[in-house]
Amino acid sequence: MSKKQTPSVDPVVIVMLGVVFVAVAVAMIAFQPSSNSINIAADAGTMSQLVVAFITGITTGGLSCLAVQGGLLASSLAHQIEQDYVEHVATNKKAKAAPRSNSALPIALFLLAKLVAYTLLGALLGWLGSYLTLSPLTRAFLMIAIGIFMIGNALRMFNVHPIFRYFSIEPPKFITRYIRRTAKGTDTATPIFLGLLTVFIPCGVTQAMMATALGTGSIAMGAALMFAFTLGTSPVFFIIAYLTTELGSRLEKFFMRFVAVLVLIFGFVTLNSGLNVMGSPLSFQNLTSGWFPSQTESNAVAESSQPAAADGAITLEVQNSGYFPKTLKAPANQDFTLNLVTDQTYSCARDFVIPALDYYQLLPDTGTVQVNIPAQKAGSTLFFTCSMGMYTGQIVFE
Amino acid sequence: MIKKTFKVSDMTCSNCAMKLESLEDTLDGVKEINASYHRLEMVIEYDESKLTDEQIVAAVKKKGYTAVMK
Repeated sequence: MSKKQTPSVDPVVIVMLGVVFVAVAVAMIAFQPSSNSINIAADAGTMSQLVVAFITGITTGGLSCLAVQGGLLASSLAHQIEQDYVEHVATNKKAKAAPRSNSALPIALFLLAKLVAYTLLGALLGWLGSYLTLSPLTRAFLMIAIGIFMIGNALRMFNVHPIFRYFSIEPPKFITRYIRRTAKGTDTATPIFLGLLTVFIPCGVTQAMMATALGTGSIAMGAALMFAFTLGTSPVFFIIAYLTTELGSRLEKFFMRFVAVLVLIFGFVTLNSGLNVMGSPLSFQNLTSGWFPSQTESNAVAESSQPAAADGAITLEVQNSGYFPKTLKAPANQDFTLNLVTDQTYSCARDFVIPALDYYQLLPDTGTVQVNIPAQKAGSTLFFTCSMGMYTGQIVFE
Repeated sequence: MIKKTFKVSDMTCSNCAMKLESLEDTLDGVKEINASYHRLEMVIEYDESKLTDEQIVAAVKKKGYTAVMK
Protein backbone atom coordinates (compact mmCIF):
# COMPACT_ATOMS: atom_id res chain seq x y z
CA MET A 1 0.00 0.00 0.00
CA SER A 2 1.48 3.30 -1.03
CA LYS A 3 0.48 5.45 1.91
CA LYS A 4 2.48 8.43 0.72
CA GLN A 5 0.22 8.66 -2.27
CA THR A 6 -1.68 11.84 -1.46
CA PRO A 7 -4.96 12.31 -3.28
CA SER A 8 -5.01 15.26 -5.62
CA VAL A 9 -7.83 16.91 -7.51
CA ASP A 10 -8.43 14.73 -10.49
CA PRO A 11 -9.90 16.10 -13.72
CA VAL A 12 -12.26 13.15 -13.83
CA VAL A 13 -13.53 14.08 -10.36
CA ILE A 14 -14.42 17.50 -11.66
CA VAL A 15 -15.98 16.06 -14.81
CA MET A 16 -17.95 13.55 -12.75
CA LEU A 17 -19.23 16.21 -10.39
CA GLY A 18 -20.10 18.31 -13.41
CA VAL A 19 -22.07 15.40 -14.87
CA VAL A 20 -23.87 15.00 -11.56
CA PHE A 21 -24.87 18.65 -11.37
CA VAL A 22 -25.95 18.72 -15.00
CA ALA A 23 -28.04 15.62 -14.35
CA VAL A 24 -29.62 17.37 -11.36
CA ALA A 25 -30.40 20.40 -13.49
CA VAL A 26 -31.90 18.20 -16.23
CA ALA A 27 -33.94 16.33 -13.65
CA MET A 28 -35.24 19.57 -12.20
CA ILE A 29 -36.17 20.93 -15.62
CA ALA A 30 -37.81 17.65 -16.58
CA PHE A 31 -39.89 17.62 -13.43
CA GLN A 32 -41.02 21.23 -13.39
CA PRO A 33 -44.73 21.58 -12.66
CA SER A 34 -45.28 23.24 -16.04
CA SER A 35 -43.80 20.31 -17.90
CA ASN A 36 -46.37 18.33 -19.83
CA SER A 37 -44.00 15.52 -20.66
CA ILE A 38 -44.68 13.56 -17.51
CA ASN A 39 -48.08 13.86 -15.92
CA ILE A 40 -47.04 12.83 -12.46
CA ALA A 41 -44.68 15.77 -12.37
CA ALA A 42 -47.47 18.30 -12.75
CA ASP A 43 -47.48 18.61 -9.01
CA ALA A 44 -45.26 20.71 -6.79
CA GLY A 45 -45.56 17.98 -4.18
CA THR A 46 -43.95 15.56 -6.61
CA MET A 47 -41.11 17.99 -7.20
CA SER A 48 -40.59 18.50 -3.49
CA GLN A 49 -40.63 14.73 -2.99
CA LEU A 50 -37.85 14.36 -5.57
CA VAL A 51 -35.86 17.17 -4.01
CA VAL A 52 -36.27 15.54 -0.59
CA ALA A 53 -35.12 12.22 -2.10
CA PHE A 54 -32.08 13.95 -3.62
CA ILE A 55 -31.23 15.72 -0.36
CA THR A 56 -31.69 12.46 1.56
CA GLY A 57 -29.27 10.87 -0.89
CA ILE A 58 -26.66 13.58 -0.66
CA THR A 59 -26.81 13.70 3.15
CA THR A 60 -27.69 10.38 4.77
CA GLY A 61 -27.89 8.09 1.73
CA GLY A 62 -24.38 8.65 0.45
CA LEU A 63 -22.85 8.02 3.84
CA SER A 64 -25.07 5.10 4.63
CA CYS A 65 -24.27 3.55 1.23
CA LEU A 66 -20.64 4.12 2.00
CA ALA A 67 -21.01 2.10 5.18
CA VAL A 68 -22.70 -0.86 3.48
CA GLN A 69 -21.38 -0.88 -0.07
CA GLY A 70 -18.38 1.39 0.13
CA GLY A 71 -16.21 -0.72 2.36
CA LEU A 72 -16.11 -3.67 0.03
CA LEU A 73 -16.80 -2.29 -3.42
CA ALA A 74 -15.05 1.04 -3.17
CA SER A 75 -12.03 -0.55 -1.57
CA SER A 76 -11.93 -3.08 -4.37
CA LEU A 77 -12.05 -0.27 -6.87
CA ALA A 78 -9.56 1.77 -4.93
CA HIS A 79 -7.29 -1.25 -4.84
CA GLN A 80 -7.64 -1.52 -8.58
CA ILE A 81 -6.83 2.17 -8.89
CA GLU A 82 -3.85 1.78 -6.65
CA GLN A 83 -2.61 -1.20 -8.68
CA ASP A 84 -2.98 0.79 -11.88
CA TYR A 85 -1.07 3.61 -10.30
CA VAL A 86 1.72 1.37 -9.00
CA GLU A 87 1.98 -0.34 -12.37
CA HIS A 88 2.16 3.03 -14.04
CA VAL A 89 4.88 4.19 -11.67
CA ALA A 90 6.80 0.99 -12.27
CA THR A 91 6.71 1.45 -16.02
CA ASN A 92 7.20 5.19 -16.07
CA LYS A 93 9.97 6.80 -14.11
CA LYS A 94 8.42 10.21 -14.60
CA ALA A 95 5.66 9.29 -12.19
CA LYS A 96 4.94 12.84 -11.14
CA ALA A 97 3.15 13.40 -14.39
CA ALA A 98 1.13 10.22 -14.05
CA PRO A 99 -2.20 10.53 -15.81
CA ARG A 100 -4.45 9.77 -12.84
CA SER A 101 -7.56 10.52 -14.84
CA ASN A 102 -7.78 6.79 -15.66
CA SER A 103 -7.85 5.96 -11.98
CA ALA A 104 -11.23 7.55 -11.30
CA LEU A 105 -12.91 6.01 -14.31
CA PRO A 106 -13.85 2.71 -12.61
CA ILE A 107 -15.63 4.58 -9.81
CA ALA A 108 -17.45 6.78 -12.31
CA LEU A 109 -18.54 3.70 -14.27
CA PHE A 110 -19.54 1.97 -11.07
CA LEU A 111 -21.72 4.91 -9.99
CA LEU A 112 -23.34 5.31 -13.40
CA ALA A 113 -24.21 1.60 -13.44
CA LYS A 114 -25.57 1.93 -9.91
CA LEU A 115 -27.70 4.90 -10.97
CA VAL A 116 -29.17 2.95 -13.87
CA ALA A 117 -29.78 -0.14 -11.73
CA TYR A 118 -31.57 1.75 -8.96
CA THR A 119 -33.66 3.76 -11.42
CA LEU A 120 -34.85 0.50 -12.98
CA LEU A 121 -35.44 -0.92 -9.52
CA GLY A 122 -37.50 2.18 -8.65
CA ALA A 123 -39.59 1.67 -11.79
CA LEU A 124 -40.13 -1.97 -10.86
CA LEU A 125 -41.12 -1.07 -7.29
CA GLY A 126 -43.44 1.68 -8.54
CA TRP A 127 -45.05 -0.80 -10.91
CA LEU A 128 -45.47 -3.30 -8.07
CA GLY A 129 -46.95 -0.51 -5.95
CA SER A 130 -49.50 0.34 -8.65
CA TYR A 131 -50.41 -3.32 -8.89
CA LEU A 132 -51.01 -3.40 -5.16
CA THR A 133 -53.19 -0.22 -5.42
CA LEU A 134 -52.33 1.12 -2.02
CA SER A 135 -55.23 2.66 -0.13
CA PRO A 136 -54.49 5.62 2.18
CA LEU A 137 -54.68 3.27 5.15
CA THR A 138 -52.24 0.78 3.57
CA ARG A 139 -49.97 3.67 2.71
CA ALA A 140 -50.22 4.87 6.31
CA PHE A 141 -49.17 1.45 7.60
CA LEU A 142 -46.33 1.39 5.08
CA MET A 143 -45.14 4.83 6.20
CA ILE A 144 -45.32 3.80 9.84
CA ALA A 145 -43.35 0.65 9.04
CA ILE A 146 -40.74 2.69 7.16
CA GLY A 147 -40.57 5.15 10.07
CA ILE A 148 -40.06 2.35 12.60
CA PHE A 149 -37.46 0.76 10.32
CA MET A 150 -35.52 4.03 10.08
CA ILE A 151 -35.75 4.72 13.82
CA GLY A 152 -34.61 1.15 14.54
CA ASN A 153 -31.68 1.59 12.18
CA ALA A 154 -30.70 4.88 13.81
CA LEU A 155 -30.81 3.26 17.25
CA ARG A 156 -28.72 0.41 15.85
CA MET A 157 -26.12 2.93 14.68
CA PHE A 158 -26.11 4.43 18.17
CA ASN A 159 -25.62 0.90 19.54
CA VAL A 160 -28.50 1.37 21.97
CA HIS A 161 -29.39 -2.32 22.32
CA PRO A 162 -28.36 -5.57 20.55
CA ILE A 163 -31.95 -6.11 19.40
CA PHE A 164 -31.63 -3.19 16.97
CA ARG A 165 -28.95 -5.09 15.03
CA TYR A 166 -31.81 -7.01 13.46
CA PHE A 167 -32.94 -3.81 11.73
CA SER A 168 -29.92 -4.27 9.47
CA ILE A 169 -30.71 -6.69 6.68
CA GLU A 170 -27.87 -9.09 5.96
CA PRO A 171 -27.68 -10.03 2.28
CA PRO A 172 -27.55 -13.77 1.55
CA LYS A 173 -24.04 -15.20 1.70
CA PHE A 174 -24.04 -16.44 -1.88
CA ILE A 175 -24.66 -12.90 -3.12
CA THR A 176 -21.93 -11.27 -1.03
CA ARG A 177 -19.54 -14.07 -1.97
CA TYR A 178 -20.34 -13.67 -5.64
CA ILE A 179 -19.91 -9.89 -5.51
CA ARG A 180 -16.64 -10.23 -3.66
CA ARG A 181 -15.23 -12.62 -6.21
CA THR A 182 -16.42 -10.49 -9.10
CA ALA A 183 -14.74 -7.46 -7.51
CA LYS A 184 -11.36 -9.02 -8.16
CA GLY A 185 -11.64 -8.38 -11.87
CA THR A 186 -9.67 -5.56 -13.36
CA ASP A 187 -11.36 -4.96 -16.69
CA THR A 188 -13.70 -2.06 -17.48
CA ALA A 189 -16.82 -4.22 -17.32
CA THR A 190 -16.16 -5.15 -13.71
CA PRO A 191 -17.05 -1.81 -12.08
CA ILE A 192 -20.15 -1.60 -14.26
CA PHE A 193 -21.21 -5.06 -13.21
CA LEU A 194 -20.47 -4.26 -9.56
CA GLY A 195 -22.52 -1.09 -9.80
CA LEU A 196 -25.46 -3.12 -11.08
CA LEU A 197 -25.01 -5.66 -8.30
CA THR A 198 -25.34 -3.06 -5.55
CA VAL A 199 -29.12 -3.42 -5.80
CA PHE A 200 -28.65 -6.63 -3.85
CA ILE A 201 -26.89 -4.95 -0.94
CA PRO A 202 -28.89 -1.77 -0.27
CA CYS A 203 -28.13 0.23 2.85
CA GLY A 204 -30.78 1.06 5.46
CA VAL A 205 -31.64 4.45 4.01
CA THR A 206 -31.82 2.98 0.51
CA GLN A 207 -34.16 0.28 1.76
CA ALA A 208 -36.39 2.96 3.25
CA MET A 209 -36.35 4.86 -0.04
CA MET A 210 -37.20 1.64 -1.89
CA ALA A 211 -40.24 1.24 0.35
CA THR A 212 -41.21 4.83 -0.47
CA ALA A 213 -40.87 4.08 -4.19
CA LEU A 214 -43.18 1.12 -3.67
CA GLY A 215 -45.64 3.46 -1.97
CA THR A 216 -45.76 5.83 -4.96
CA GLY A 217 -47.67 3.25 -7.00
CA SER A 218 -46.27 4.74 -10.22
CA ILE A 219 -43.55 3.44 -12.52
CA ALA A 220 -42.38 6.94 -13.49
CA MET A 221 -42.49 8.28 -9.95
CA GLY A 222 -40.80 5.21 -8.49
CA ALA A 223 -38.02 5.48 -11.07
CA ALA A 224 -37.69 9.26 -10.60
CA LEU A 225 -37.56 8.90 -6.83
CA MET A 226 -34.81 6.27 -6.90
CA PHE A 227 -32.96 8.22 -9.61
CA ALA A 228 -33.02 11.40 -7.51
CA PHE A 229 -31.94 9.53 -4.40
CA THR A 230 -29.13 7.57 -6.08
CA LEU A 231 -27.97 10.70 -7.87
CA GLY A 232 -27.77 12.37 -4.47
CA THR A 233 -25.66 9.55 -3.07
CA SER A 234 -23.23 9.71 -5.99
CA PRO A 235 -21.07 12.77 -5.18
CA VAL A 236 -20.43 11.71 -1.57
CA PHE A 237 -19.86 8.12 -2.62
CA PHE A 238 -17.56 9.17 -5.42
CA ILE A 239 -15.41 11.49 -3.35
CA ILE A 240 -15.12 9.12 -0.43
CA ALA A 241 -14.59 6.06 -2.59
CA TYR A 242 -11.83 7.98 -4.30
CA LEU A 243 -10.13 8.75 -1.01
CA THR A 244 -11.09 5.53 0.69
CA THR A 245 -7.65 4.03 1.05
CA GLU A 246 -6.56 7.01 3.11
CA LEU A 247 -9.68 8.11 4.94
CA GLY A 248 -12.32 5.36 4.66
CA SER A 249 -12.48 3.93 8.16
CA ARG A 250 -11.97 7.21 9.97
CA LEU A 251 -14.65 8.95 7.94
CA GLU A 252 -16.98 6.01 8.44
CA LYS A 253 -16.79 6.26 12.22
CA PHE A 254 -17.17 10.03 12.26
CA PHE A 255 -20.05 10.18 9.81
CA MET A 256 -22.02 7.24 11.17
CA ARG A 257 -23.07 9.34 14.19
CA PHE A 258 -24.14 12.14 11.89
CA VAL A 259 -26.02 9.69 9.68
CA ALA A 260 -27.72 8.15 12.72
CA VAL A 261 -29.03 11.53 13.89
CA LEU A 262 -30.42 12.35 10.43
CA VAL A 263 -31.96 8.90 9.98
CA LEU A 264 -33.57 9.24 13.41
CA ILE A 265 -35.10 12.61 12.46
CA PHE A 266 -36.34 11.30 9.09
CA GLY A 267 -37.68 8.22 10.85
CA PHE A 268 -39.79 10.26 13.27
CA VAL A 269 -41.02 12.53 10.46
CA THR A 270 -42.09 9.50 8.39
CA LEU A 271 -43.72 7.82 11.38
CA ASN A 272 -45.60 11.03 12.18
CA SER A 273 -46.76 11.35 8.56
CA GLY A 274 -48.05 7.79 8.69
CA LEU A 275 -49.99 8.59 11.87
CA ASN A 276 -51.46 11.65 10.13
CA VAL A 277 -52.57 9.64 7.11
CA MET A 278 -54.14 7.16 9.47
CA GLY A 279 -56.02 9.99 11.18
CA SER A 280 -54.48 9.15 14.51
CA PRO A 281 -54.89 11.71 17.31
CA LEU A 282 -51.39 10.67 18.40
CA SER A 283 -49.60 12.45 15.55
CA PHE A 284 -47.53 15.49 16.50
CA GLN A 285 -49.85 17.95 14.75
CA ASN A 286 -53.02 16.45 16.22
CA LEU A 287 -51.56 16.16 19.70
CA THR A 288 -50.35 19.74 19.73
CA SER A 289 -53.18 21.37 17.77
CA GLY A 290 -54.39 23.32 20.82
CA TRP A 291 -51.02 23.96 22.41
CA PHE A 292 -49.78 26.99 20.55
CA PRO A 293 -51.47 30.37 21.00
CA SER A 294 -50.63 31.42 17.46
CA GLN A 295 -52.53 28.47 16.09
CA THR A 296 -55.51 29.17 18.39
CA GLU A 297 -55.53 32.75 17.15
CA SER A 298 -55.48 31.66 13.55
CA ASN A 299 -58.32 29.30 14.33
CA ALA A 300 -60.29 32.15 15.89
CA VAL A 301 -59.75 34.21 12.77
CA ALA A 302 -60.59 31.26 10.66
CA GLU A 303 -63.74 30.61 12.62
CA SER A 304 -64.93 34.15 12.12
CA SER A 305 -64.26 33.86 8.41
CA GLN A 306 -65.75 30.39 8.20
CA PRO A 307 -68.71 30.64 5.84
CA ALA A 308 -72.12 30.49 7.48
CA ALA A 309 -73.64 27.09 7.11
CA ALA A 310 -77.01 28.39 5.90
CA ASP A 311 -77.31 25.62 3.33
CA GLY A 312 -75.50 23.20 5.59
CA ALA A 313 -72.26 23.66 3.64
CA ILE A 314 -68.87 24.53 5.11
CA THR A 315 -65.92 25.60 2.99
CA LEU A 316 -62.33 24.47 3.34
CA GLU A 317 -59.69 26.22 1.28
CA VAL A 318 -57.10 23.82 -0.09
CA GLN A 319 -53.96 25.84 -0.77
CA ASN A 320 -50.43 24.93 -1.76
CA SER A 321 -49.31 25.47 1.83
CA GLY A 322 -52.09 23.45 3.45
CA TYR A 323 -55.71 23.66 4.61
CA PHE A 324 -57.41 26.84 5.79
CA PRO A 325 -58.84 27.06 8.34
CA LYS A 326 -56.96 24.26 10.01
CA THR A 327 -59.78 23.74 12.46
CA LEU A 328 -63.37 23.76 11.24
CA LYS A 329 -66.35 23.78 13.57
CA ALA A 330 -69.46 21.91 12.50
CA PRO A 331 -72.82 21.22 14.12
CA ALA A 332 -73.09 17.79 15.73
CA ASN A 333 -75.73 15.17 14.96
CA GLN A 334 -76.52 16.36 11.45
CA ASP A 335 -75.16 15.73 7.99
CA PHE A 336 -73.45 18.57 6.18
CA THR A 337 -71.59 19.27 2.96
CA LEU A 338 -67.90 20.14 2.99
CA ASN A 339 -66.81 22.23 0.02
CA LEU A 340 -63.18 21.68 -0.86
CA VAL A 341 -62.04 24.70 -2.84
CA THR A 342 -58.79 24.67 -4.80
CA ASP A 343 -57.30 27.56 -6.71
CA GLN A 344 -54.13 26.74 -8.63
CA THR A 345 -53.23 24.21 -5.98
CA TYR A 346 -50.46 21.89 -7.06
CA SER A 347 -49.06 20.60 -3.78
CA CYS A 348 -49.92 17.25 -2.21
CA ALA A 349 -52.70 19.08 -0.30
CA ARG A 350 -54.77 18.16 -3.37
CA ASP A 351 -54.60 14.50 -2.35
CA PHE A 352 -57.30 14.93 0.26
CA VAL A 353 -57.94 12.18 2.81
CA ILE A 354 -60.43 11.81 5.69
CA PRO A 355 -59.13 8.56 7.22
CA ALA A 356 -62.06 7.92 9.58
CA LEU A 357 -64.53 8.07 6.68
CA ASP A 358 -62.18 6.15 4.37
CA TYR A 359 -62.53 9.09 1.98
CA TYR A 360 -59.80 9.79 -0.55
CA GLN A 361 -59.97 12.20 -3.47
CA LEU A 362 -57.44 13.79 -5.81
CA LEU A 363 -58.88 17.28 -6.16
CA PRO A 364 -58.66 19.30 -9.39
CA ASP A 365 -55.96 21.99 -9.26
CA THR A 366 -58.73 24.61 -9.52
CA GLY A 367 -62.35 24.00 -8.63
CA THR A 368 -64.72 22.85 -5.92
CA VAL A 369 -65.43 19.32 -4.77
CA GLN A 370 -68.29 18.57 -2.40
CA VAL A 371 -68.03 15.91 0.29
CA ASN A 372 -71.01 14.71 2.28
CA ILE A 373 -70.04 14.37 5.92
CA PRO A 374 -72.39 12.13 7.89
CA ALA A 375 -73.67 13.17 11.34
CA GLN A 376 -71.11 12.95 14.13
CA LYS A 377 -71.49 13.05 17.90
CA ALA A 378 -70.92 16.31 19.82
CA GLY A 379 -67.37 16.60 21.05
CA SER A 380 -65.97 14.29 18.38
CA THR A 381 -63.24 15.27 15.92
CA LEU A 382 -62.65 14.24 12.32
CA PHE A 383 -59.04 14.57 11.19
CA PHE A 384 -58.20 15.25 7.57
CA THR A 385 -54.82 15.24 5.87
CA CYS A 386 -53.03 15.09 2.56
CA SER A 387 -52.02 11.62 1.39
CA MET A 388 -48.40 12.31 2.40
CA GLY A 389 -49.38 13.23 5.96
CA MET A 390 -47.69 16.62 5.54
CA TYR A 391 -50.70 18.93 5.74
CA THR A 392 -53.38 18.31 8.33
CA GLY A 393 -56.52 19.77 9.85
CA GLN A 394 -59.61 18.81 11.79
CA ILE A 395 -63.36 19.24 12.03
CA VAL A 396 -64.63 19.66 15.56
CA PHE A 397 -68.30 18.84 16.13
CA GLU A 398 -70.21 20.77 18.77
CA MET B 1 -10.68 -29.44 8.79
CA ILE B 2 -11.88 -27.82 11.98
CA LYS B 3 -14.69 -25.36 12.63
CA LYS B 4 -14.34 -22.64 15.27
CA THR B 5 -16.44 -19.68 16.35
CA PHE B 6 -14.98 -16.29 17.20
CA LYS B 7 -16.79 -13.43 18.90
CA VAL B 8 -16.23 -10.15 17.02
CA SER B 9 -17.91 -7.52 19.19
CA ASP B 10 -16.80 -4.46 17.27
CA MET B 11 -18.76 -5.13 14.06
CA THR B 12 -20.99 -2.12 13.35
CA CYS B 13 -22.94 -3.18 10.27
CA SER B 14 -23.45 -6.04 7.84
CA ASN B 15 -20.57 -4.71 5.75
CA CYS B 16 -18.22 -5.64 8.60
CA ALA B 17 -19.38 -9.24 8.23
CA MET B 18 -18.65 -9.04 4.50
CA LYS B 19 -15.17 -7.68 5.21
CA LEU B 20 -14.44 -10.55 7.56
CA GLU B 21 -15.72 -13.08 5.06
CA SER B 22 -13.26 -11.70 2.53
CA LEU B 23 -10.53 -13.36 4.63
CA GLU B 24 -11.63 -16.51 2.82
CA ASP B 25 -9.70 -15.22 -0.18
CA THR B 26 -6.52 -14.23 1.60
CA LEU B 27 -5.96 -16.68 4.45
CA ASP B 28 -4.31 -19.87 3.37
CA GLY B 29 -6.04 -23.01 4.67
CA VAL B 30 -9.50 -21.47 5.07
CA LYS B 31 -12.38 -23.42 3.58
CA GLU B 32 -15.26 -21.17 4.58
CA ILE B 33 -16.05 -18.16 6.76
CA ASN B 34 -19.54 -17.21 7.84
CA ALA B 35 -19.68 -13.93 9.71
CA SER B 36 -22.86 -12.48 11.18
CA TYR B 37 -23.40 -8.91 12.28
CA HIS B 38 -26.63 -9.94 14.00
CA ARG B 39 -24.81 -12.41 16.25
CA LEU B 40 -21.48 -10.51 16.27
CA GLU B 41 -19.60 -13.69 15.50
CA MET B 42 -17.57 -15.38 12.85
CA VAL B 43 -17.57 -19.13 12.16
CA ILE B 44 -14.46 -20.28 10.34
CA GLU B 45 -13.77 -23.68 8.87
CA TYR B 46 -10.10 -24.24 8.24
CA ASP B 47 -7.22 -26.64 7.99
CA GLU B 48 -5.46 -26.48 11.35
CA SER B 49 -2.25 -27.83 9.87
CA LYS B 50 -1.98 -24.70 7.74
CA LEU B 51 -3.47 -22.06 10.01
CA THR B 52 -3.44 -21.27 13.73
CA ASP B 53 -5.92 -19.41 15.93
CA GLU B 54 -3.36 -16.69 16.47
CA GLN B 55 -3.00 -16.17 12.73
CA ILE B 56 -6.78 -15.86 12.40
CA VAL B 57 -6.97 -13.33 15.24
CA ALA B 58 -4.12 -11.37 13.67
CA ALA B 59 -5.79 -11.39 10.24
CA VAL B 60 -9.04 -10.17 11.77
CA LYS B 61 -7.13 -7.45 13.59
CA LYS B 62 -5.61 -6.37 10.29
CA LYS B 63 -9.15 -5.87 9.00
CA GLY B 64 -9.79 -3.55 11.95
CA TYR B 65 -11.66 -5.89 14.31
CA THR B 66 -11.02 -7.87 17.45
CA ALA B 67 -11.73 -11.59 17.44
CA VAL B 68 -12.01 -13.62 20.63
CA MET B 69 -12.43 -17.38 20.48
CA LYS B 70 -15.70 -18.58 22.03
